[in-house]
Order: sequence, then C-alpha cells, then structure tokens
Amino acid sequence: MDNLSLWLLFFAAGLGTFLIRLSFIQLHASSAALIERSKPILALLPPGILAALCMPGIVFTRPTNEYQIDPLQIVAALVTILIAKYSSSVFWPVVGGMLCLWLLRAYG
Amino acid sequence: MASHKQAFWFGVRDLLPLVSGVLPFGLIAGATGVSMGMTPEMIMGMTVLFFAGSAQLAAYSLIQDNAPFIIIVLTVLVINFRFVIYSASFAPLLGPLKKRYRLPLTFMLSDQVYGLCSMPEQQAKSNGERVFYLAGVAISMALSWFISVALGVALGASIPASWSLEFTIPLAFLAMLVTTITNRRLFLVACISALCAITFQLLPYNIGFIAAVVAGVSCGLLLPNLLQKRVGKHG
Repeated sequence: MDNLSLWLLFFAAGLGTFLIRLSFIQLHASSAALIERSKPILALLPPGILAALCMPGIVFTRPTNEYQIDPLQIVAALVTILIAKYSSSVFWPVVGGMLCLWLLRAYG
Repeated sequence: MASHKQAFWFGVRDLLPLVSGVLPFGLIAGATGVSMGMTPEMIMGMTVLFFAGSAQLAAYSLIQDNAPFIIIVLTVLVINFRFVIYSASFAPLLGPLKKRYRLPLTFMLSDQVYGLCSMPEQQAKSNGERVFYLAGVAISMALSWFISVALGVALGASIPASWSLEFTIPLAFLAMLVTTITNRRLFLVACISALCAITFQLLPYNIGFIAAVVAGVSCGLLLPNLLQKRVGKHG
C-alpha cells in the first residue's frame, strides 16, 4: 500500500473508531430513556467486561498466533486475586503477581 | 473545586501502575511500524488517529498481508466495537458536558479508563468528581501511550521479552475485576464471561470478547431469577 492510501486508511479507521466511542454519548439526550431502562444491564457490565479483557491474556501465552496454556501465569494470577481482595489499589496486586511469575520462572 | 482537582490527580495516580503494561505494548507498536518501513510521522499519526493498541497491531498485520483497504477498516471497527458499551456506560456522565470537554474525553475512552472508572469506589462519587477523575485517567493514559509508542519508534522494543512486562495488563484488569465483584450475581457474571472468553479466544476479530460479555451479562440477568422460581416451586 502506498503512503497516501495508508494515511486514508488511518483517517477512515480513526474516524470510525471515534464515532463508535461517541455513539451513545452524543445521542445522550435521545437515548437517556433507553440507558435508564438498561441500568440493570449496565450494572452487570464491569465484571463481564473486565473478566473478558483479562482472562485470555492470563490463561494463554501469546507468541504470535500459537495459543498455549501457561500454568505459571495462572498461579501468578491467583496471587494477584488474593492480594486484590485486601488492597483497594491496582498497584500491589500487579506487583505481587509479577514477582510471583518471575520467581516461578527463575526457580520453577 | 478543590475536590475536583483532587479527583483529577487521583485519576492520574491510579493510572500510573498501569503504565508498566502500556509501555511494552507501546514499544512493540512503535517498533513494529519501523520494521514495516513506515516513517515516524506515519506511525505517530496512526497512533494518535487510532488511539487503540490492539486494533493498531491487527491493522499492521493486515497491511503486511496486503489485505484490501475496506477489510482493514472493518476489522479495526469490529475490534473496537466494545467502545459502544463504554459509550453507553459513560453517556450519563459525559453526554451533558460542553462539546469542548465531551469530544476530547470521548476520544480518549479506553479499556483502562473503563476499568478504573467503573470500580465501586468511583461509582459512589458525585458526577463532578467522576468526570474529573475520568479526565485524570484518560489524559495520563493517552500521554503514556503516545510516549511509549514514540519510544518504540526511537529505540525499538528494547525491554527484554523474557520480563513479560505486558503480562501486567491482564493482571491489572484482574485486580480491578476482583474489586468490582461485590455480590454473588456479579461473581456469576464474571465466571460465565471468563469461561466464554477463554473458550472463544480463537475466534477472529475480537468476537470472543463481545460473545463473552453478552453471555456473562445475560446469565447474570436471567439465571438468578430462574433459580429463584424453581426454588419457589419446590418450596
């Protein structure tokens, strides 16, 4: 692809992405009733989204396209869960999980 | 006003630990662009216009495969389709703002912003504080993403891959997940969504993600009521 078509591609993809982000926010006034009715759904979304965001990255290693289950990553994730239960910040659970992963890789 | 300013800086503070995961991802995005022979201006232009890391990496590989223009655009849009959900979630918060605040904040919505701003502690706050917190998270996230990609362009992906620093991204979302689970229904949603996300991982275009969220939320809406009815019948 030549440079001009690449720039066109970036603008088209960028504009489309922005419009997706803007959709409900821009139509806020006319979609307020719909959003109000969807409150029970919206309340369930955070755990659904966060679980779907993190699980594949935890269970599988990702060397390009081959997906393999990585037991050490799963153990590290369990440590993160444990710390997260007692810590309100994201920092310490992540530090604990990474230290666990590095230790397991070094001595496991 | 003081509490607004404070909320902004709380947002910046809470984003900082996530930079550990953003940095290696950005380095990869920058270095991959260089390896494909793109100029620094193009890579940074693409980064700013997309402002979506996984879509950018997918676009790289499609460009390398000489995929048709329209297929690449569609792929990017399907991968970014999850932003519709974020848009609906933040509409009550960002919708009423003036255009000059609404549009930039909307542009900067990301997974990290959604995760941090939907934690129970934030949801309990006033709308004003929530907007300033969101702005703090979003602006620092955008800056760290742009700087990470620029470093990737300048230095290449110079963090050793064996450190697995990008593993801090799922770990951070996992920690947020634990904090958002405050009752059994939410726990059920998380379990179903997690199982589906793992099962559907190999589906293309991030379809697994959407399927997992839909399955998790539907089960969370329907299953508890079904079980209750059944218990009611027997009891």
